[in-house]
Amino acid sequence: MNFQGLFGLIKIELKKLIREPAILIMNLLFPAILTLVFGLTFGAIGGGDTGGVNTFDIMAPGLFAYACIFIIMTVAMSFADEREEGLLRRINVTPISSSEFLGSHIITNMIISIIQVVLVFLFSVLMGFRPLGGVWGVVMAFILMIILSLCSVGLGLLTASIAKSGAVAVGISMIFILPQMFFGTFLPLSPTTEIIALFLPSYYVTHSITLIFHGAEILSAEILLSLTVVSIMAGVIIFIGVLMFKKYGSEK
Amino acid sequence: MMNNILSINKSKQGNTRKMSNKNNKIKENGYAIIIKDLVKRYDDIIAVDGLNLKIKDGELFSLLGPNGAGKTTTINILNGLVKPTEGTAIVGGYDVKKELKNVKKLIGVCPQEAAVFKYLNAEENVKLFGDLHRVNKKVIKERMNKHLETLGLTEYSKRKAKGYSGGMLRKLNIVMALINDPKIAFLDEPTVGMDPRARRATWEFIGSLKEQNKTVILTTHYIEEAEALSDRVGIIDYGKLIELGSPKELLAKYEAKNLEEVFLNITGRRILEGI
Repeated sequence: MNFQGLFGLIKIELKKLIREPAILIMNLLFPAILTLVFGLTFGAIGGGDTGGVNTFDIMAPGLFAYACIFIIMTVAMSFADEREEGLLRRINVTPISSSEFLGSHIITNMIISIIQVVLVFLFSVLMGFRPLGGVWGVVMAFILMIILSLCSVGLGLLTASIAKSGAVAVGISMIFILPQMFFGTFLPLSPTTEIIALFLPSYYVTHSITLIFHGAEILSAEILLSLTVVSIMAGVIIFIGVLMFKKYGSEK
Repeated sequence: MMNNILSINKSKQGNTRKMSNKNNKIKENGYAIIIKDLVKRYDDIIAVDGLNLKIKDGELFSLLGPNGAGKTTTINILNGLVKPTEGTAIVGGYDVKKELKNVKKLIGVCPQEAAVFKYLNAEENVKLFGDLHRVNKKVIKERMNKHLETLGLTEYSKRKAKGYSGGMLRKLNIVMALINDPKIAFLDEPTVGMDPRARRATWEFIGSLKEQNKTVILTTHYIEEAEALSDRVGIIDYGKLIELGSPKELLAKYEAKNLEEVFLNITGRRILEGI
C-alpha cells in the first residue's frame, strides 16, 4: 500500500476545496447558506411556527442530505477536469494503483461530507433546531450521511465516466441530483413519487435522520433496515462507479 | 563488538545492493528498452506498425517523425498508458504487458501537454509526484530545489501554477517527471512553446541527464534539438521505423548539412511516393 502517495493525494484534494472557489462554494458555502435561508424562513428565529415542531425542524434532516447530494457534482467535475488536463494520465504512469487513487478521492469526500454535516448541523442549531436523540443520535446521523456521501462519490464517478468535460459533468450530474433532492429529502411525496423515492439513497437517509432527531430509538428496526438498504446501495453504486470509471473514465 | 558492527553494516549493504538490483533491473544485454514487432491498431487505423527498436542503457535517443507518425503512441505503450495490439516491449528489463508495476518504478514521464495541478504551486506539484513515487521527503526537497533552480523556477516556486506562463509550465512539467530520479525518462516534446533562451537552458538540463547515465527517450519537432542532444535518432513514419543512426551517421549517409535536411529528405520522399 502506497500510503505516502495516498496521503499526498488526499492533501491536494483538500487544498483544492479551499483554493478553488467553485468547489468551496458548492461544498461548504452552499449548504451553509441554504441552512441559514431555510432556517430564517421556516425556523423559530425567523418567526416560523414556534409551537412544538416547526417547519424547519421537519426540513433540517433533508438539508443534511442536500449537502451530501451535491458531492456528486463536485466529484464528477473534479475527475472530468483532471482527465481533460491530462492529470489522470500523468498519475497513471506513477506507481500508485488505481484503487489507491480512487480510494484517496473516496476518503477526501468522506472528510468533506463530515465538514459539511458539521456546518449544516451547527447552522441548524443556530437557527433554533433542537434535535432529540442525544449524542448517539448525532453519531448515527453522521454515519448515515457518510454512507450517503459514498453513494454520491460513486454517482460522481459514473457521471465522470460519461462526461467529456467538467462543464458537461455538471449537466449530467443533475440526472442524479434532482430526483434525490425532490423525492428523497423533505418535500412532500405523492404515491407515485414515493415509489421512485424507494430507489433513492437520500430517501432512506433523510427518513432515518428524521426519526432519530424526533426521538426514535437509534437501533430501531426501521432505522437499521434503512441503514442496511443504504449501505447495500452505496456498495453497489461505488462498485459500478469504480468499474465504469476504470473502463471508460480514465482515458481521454 | 567492532566486528559485530562491521558485520551488521556488511549485511545492511548486502540488503541494499540486493534491493537495488531488484528495483533497478535494467540490463538486458545493455539495453534499457527493447521493442519487438510492436503493433497498435485503433479499429482500421494502424498507429504503430511492426516497430523494432533497441535503446541502449544510458543513451539519449530521439524519436522523430511528422504529426501522427506514431511517436506518442509508441511512448504511451512503453509507459503503460496504451496496450499494444501485438508484439512486446521490454522497459528496464520488465515486460510492459506483464510487469507494468515494476516499469512504473523505473520511469519518469514528461507528457506532451503541461499536466500540472493549476491550484497548486510548483513545490506542491513536485512534492505530490515525489509522494506518488514514494521518494523520501528529505530527498524530494533536495532534488526539487536543485531542479527548480537549474530551470530558473525557484523564484516562482511558491506561486500557483495558474499564473505561470506556457514556458514555466513546461519547465515544471519536466521537474515533476524527474523528481523520482528515474532510470529511464520519457520526454514528449518537452520544449514546445518555450522561448529560445528557455529552450537552450532546458537542453542543457536534458543533456545533464545523460551525464547521470540516464536513458532518455525524447520526442520532438525541433530537429535541431534532436541533433544537439541525441546519441542516436530514430525517424518514424506511418508507425514504422524508417531510419536509425547517430546524427553524424545520418548526415553522412544523406550527405546533408543538418538533420532537418535528412528528416525532410526521408519523410518528404515518403509523402511524395504516397507510402
